[in-house]
Amino acid sequence: MLFWIIVAILTAAVAIVLLLPLLRGAKERLSDRAGEAAVYRDQLKELERDQAQGLITPDEAEYARAEVGRRLIAVSSGMEKQVARGSGLRRIRLAEIVVVVTLPAVGLCLYSITGSPELPSQPLEARLANPGNDMGILVTKAERHLAQNPEDGQGWDLLAPIYYRSLRLGDAELAYRNAIRLLGGNAERWNGLGETLIAAADGIVTDDARAAFEEALKLDGSNFRTKFYLALALEQTGKQAEAKAAFETLAKESPADAPWIPLVNEHIAKNGGAPLATAGAEKPLGNPTAEDVAAAENLEAGDRQQMIEGMVASLDAKLREDPKNIEGWMRLIRSYGVLKQPDKAADALKRGLAVFPADSAEGKQMLALAQGMGIATEGNEQ
Amino acid sequence: MTRKQKRLAIIGGGMSFILAAALLVMFAFGQSIAYFYMPADLAKTSVPPETRIRLGGLVEKGSVARGEGSTVSFAVTDNENTVKVTYTGILPDLFREGQGVVTEGKFIAGSDVFVADSVLAKHDENYMPKEVADRLKEQGVWEGQEQTQ
Amino acid sequence: MSVELGHYALVLALATAIVLSILPIWGAWRGDRPLMELATSGSLALFGLVAFAFAVLTQAHLASDFSVKNVWENSHSLVPFIFKFSGVWGNHEGSMLLWLLILVFFSALVAIFGRNLPDTLRANVLAVQAWVATAFTLFILLTSNPFARLNPAPPEGQDLNPVLQDVGLAIHPPLLYLGYVGFSVCFSFAIAALMEGRIDAAWARWVRPWTLAAWTFLTAGIAMGSYWAYYELGWGGWWFWDPVENASFMPWLAGTALLHSAIVMEKREALKIWTILLAILTFSLSLLGTFLVRSGVLTSVHAFATDPSRGIFILCILVLFIGGALALFAFRAPQLNSGGLFAPISREGALVLNNLILTVSTATVLIGTLYPLLLESLTGEKISVGPPFFNMTFGLLMIPLLLAVPFGPLLAWKRGDLLGALQRLYVAAGLAFFVALVFYYVENGGPVMAVLGLAAGLFLVFGAVSDLWFRAGIGKQAMGVAWRRLVGLPRSAFGTALAHMGLGITVLGIVAVTTFETEHVVEMKPGMTAEAGGYTLAFDGMRSAVGPNYTEDRGHFTVSRGGATVADVWSSKRLYTARRMPTTEAGILTFGLSQLYVSLGDPMADGGIVVRIWWKPYILCIWGGALVMMFGGFVSLSDRRLRVGAPSRRAKPVKAALEAGE
Repeated sequence: MLFWIIVAILTAAVAIVLLLPLLRGAKERLSDRAGEAAVYRDQLKELERDQAQGLITPDEAEYARAEVGRRLIAVSSGMEKQVARGSGLRRIRLAEIVVVVTLPAVGLCLYSITGSPELPSQPLEARLANPGNDMGILVTKAERHLAQNPEDGQGWDLLAPIYYRSLRLGDAELAYRNAIRLLGGNAERWNGLGETLIAAADGIVTDDARAAFEEALKLDGSNFRTKFYLALALEQTGKQAEAKAAFETLAKESPADAPWIPLVNEHIAKNGGAPLATAGAEKPLGNPTAEDVAAAENLEAGDRQQMIEGMVASLDAKLREDPKNIEGWMRLIRSYGVLKQPDKAADALKRGLAVFPADSAEGKQMLALAQGMGIATEGNEQ
Repeated sequence: MTRKQKRLAIIGGGMSFILAAALLVMFAFGQSIAYFYMPADLAKTSVPPETRIRLGGLVEKGSVARGEGSTVSFAVTDNENTVKVTYTGILPDLFREGQGVVTEGKFIAGSDVFVADSVLAKHDENYMPKEVADRLKEQGVWEGQEQTQ
Repeated sequence: MSVELGHYALVLALATAIVLSILPIWGAWRGDRPLMELATSGSLALFGLVAFAFAVLTQAHLASDFSVKNVWENSHSLVPFIFKFSGVWGNHEGSMLLWLLILVFFSALVAIFGRNLPDTLRANVLAVQAWVATAFTLFILLTSNPFARLNPAPPEGQDLNPVLQDVGLAIHPPLLYLGYVGFSVCFSFAIAALMEGRIDAAWARWVRPWTLAAWTFLTAGIAMGSYWAYYELGWGGWWFWDPVENASFMPWLAGTALLHSAIVMEKREALKIWTILLAILTFSLSLLGTFLVRSGVLTSVHAFATDPSRGIFILCILVLFIGGALALFAFRAPQLNSGGLFAPISREGALVLNNLILTVSTATVLIGTLYPLLLESLTGEKISVGPPFFNMTFGLLMIPLLLAVPFGPLLAWKRGDLLGALQRLYVAAGLAFFVALVFYYVENGGPVMAVLGLAAGLFLVFGAVSDLWFRAGIGKQAMGVAWRRLVGLPRSAFGTALAHMGLGITVLGIVAVTTFETEHVVEMKPGMTAEAGGYTLAFDGMRSAVGPNYTEDRGHFTVSRGGATVADVWSSKRLYTARRMPTTEAGILTFGLSQLYVSLGDPMADGGIVVRIWWKPYILCIWGGALVMMFGGFVSLSDRRLRVGAPSRRAKPVKAALEAGE
């Protein structure tokens, strides 16, 4: 509101500045060509000076003086001919209308297209002081802290998976290595490092990555991720039989309803084995989705889960403030669906439909999404 | 001199000056324009030795070899044809294997090695010299940006 | 919210510019004074609005407000303060806003200092300025809005291009734009005069300070840019005939011609049509430069971003303004009466020669710059026109100009005495030749042409001194009288002499560097030494260092002469972390006017490093000369006579003045 008041004041102030000469009317002024005459008079004076100093010969001076004199006469005759034309009142009124209409019309029309009046300024310092649940800013804050205290292992440990998630792989590798150097290795860190290296090598389990997983295996012999990637390394180096055996062991050791079973089965099949009986087919969503795979690969990442929840919560908060954002609603519903929080998803749908009615294109879009994800939509379908 | 003659003298002098300048420009164009070639073009057409040309393409991976002092040899490729280049001097900061480069120089008679006297790789991480980028895109070798890491 | 206020202020500036484009012209046409007055206050308001928008953008950059897309793209929280500041114009959007700011700044100056102008002329000039402002504000708002926002705001920016993180670059664009855009005032004056159909000597007097100011800033801007390229790019060159450099050089050449032809017009009312045309062409070249740089048709350091819609938009502006102006010129020029007559050998004749050479050389630079673009768009053939072309054409064309410059000021108006001028200059010429020979001897040879080049530069310097010498009558008059006469000379006489002298100094520097420069490329290991310019450089080894937003490997060299250590120098290879971009920071040591330039190459496998060492004798003369030229410009600007024309209260009636004159 304050913004629009200032906008109004600014527009009015400029309009007044433009209107003032029109309202004040014409001032008396010396002839229009007085300025020209002054220039020529000055040229004459300069001639005198030059002649007095002997810079030009009297002949030259005389000739030049005649020339300047002619200009001066031309000017003065022009001055006499000049007719004082008054200012027409109608013209002034019309000009005033042009000013009063153009400023707000052009200003507001164009601004409403290009501007985003609802967005506040966000200087970095203020955001750092009050980060809320903005993940990016928390990361920046942590980075600044680490720039000051590079030996803080906890900090690196916290940042490393976040970097990995946001695909800043170089940073992630550095952070994992620092965390391992400062805090010592644990299965989680070695696994993370290994995964980072794989991602950086476009899915190839490099020697470095395999070494990392072997370290992890020493520390925790039961970790699914460790074993999976080590098996993958075997597969990629062409040791089919060993890879098959490793994947089969993995499948046997896993609980029957583990979400990664389909993925493992895929690899067993790829290496020439028969898939074990799976629990995958009984899953409510049918085939393993990308989310399942991602979830499987990050089984133990509790903090990661929290992080995602933080992001979703922040999106939720933003939508409460600014609900006219269909993309946001779609994302929120999908996120709650993936996070297996059907109540919240249903709630988000309800709030979204309050903004975009069910019979609007956006509403239909949201309903279709919710139905596809198995989220309760009954209450909204009237 | 009469008015007319004065005016003619000035106009005539001016015209002859402009004419001389125009001839100079034509002459200089003939002397110093360098045509741009990609290695594939050189396979099709032959460039007479001692003619200044620009040669552009990607620096072939694994081809950079340092000789004595500051002489460097590398190969410029467009994945169709490859041309060996030698250059004495300091390579630009952004000269890297697998990245785009434009070299200017000439072939020496009796040799198929291109002797460059300047190597350009401009100052932007994603810089692909414009001529090179256009042609590589035509050939479908290069798509968009190189990766940073 | 303040960011959005800045955005709104810019939109409002567009509305104001539209009003200013229409009403004052209407007023001037109908002789309606209130409507003409509106141009004055309106131009000030316009400046206020754009300045506010610019301040807001600056504030966003300083506060690292990454919710502004422009800040996010071109800044980083760790960039040092000064580069956060210069980052405002170190990118496409910001630099266009700076362009606009300077344009409306000049409008405001005309509004303030233009009280002496006839009402209609001032109203028309300000309206034409407003047309340009309207076009560019639209361009900014529609294609390159610096106030575009990001939601949610990213946590960290993408950093300013490291090559642009330099103090030289912080100053270079504003200076360059002050020059470039300053010529818009000359353009507006020309269009306004054409619209009124009345042009006379007084017009030239009024335009002169604006031309002079723009020319002075452009001189400074080009020199600054050249020095920046010299030390920042690490190639040791100071002028590359890069299209972007040419883009700023062409308005300078045309502006120099304009400066001189306006003198003829002011004194003799001759060359009127030509001067008007030059004023139009100079600003057209500025616009062309903006188009070349901003549209991205040239790939170069300066093309921050390439976006076809921008290119087409600027091309439209270009066609509209240049085409419109030339059409108006063609329509009106035949109605202008021609002015005074003069003999070929006269001050006017000399200035015509100056104009002829300058415009022809502008044309050659233009052809060399645009020909590859034209050829490529017409035939698809790609060629490059490199420095050899420009050196050959431009260099040859400049020789007669350099030799003629000292004669100009010594010739009388209307009908000059070439023999007399020669007699006055033979001392300067002889002295120049002698000093050049001494120089040649001291530097131990080099091409014989070097002597001629040096002599030409020295001739300019001594010629400028002789001009003042003879004007003051030193040698002919008693010392006291001569001194009084010297002091009494108009400031513009000193300005002329200084500018010509500066040109001579620059020529000296260019000739000395190109002929006496030495360059060594050597592979060095710690402990090894190399020789350059009589100095011995010992390489002590490499060290790593960390800067605020980069890491670097610095090589340390100890410089000695005759066994005694005189200085040490660091040269480094930097890696800017945010963009993973390497740069070379040359180590530069200054000895008097000469410099030792050390630049690092690639490390070798055996622990050595390739080092490039230049000895650049008298290189500082190149930019020193530009500084002297600039100083000359300021001295001329301060000339009392340029302020004349204000109708003062004690102005005598015209008749009395006429009587005094006759």
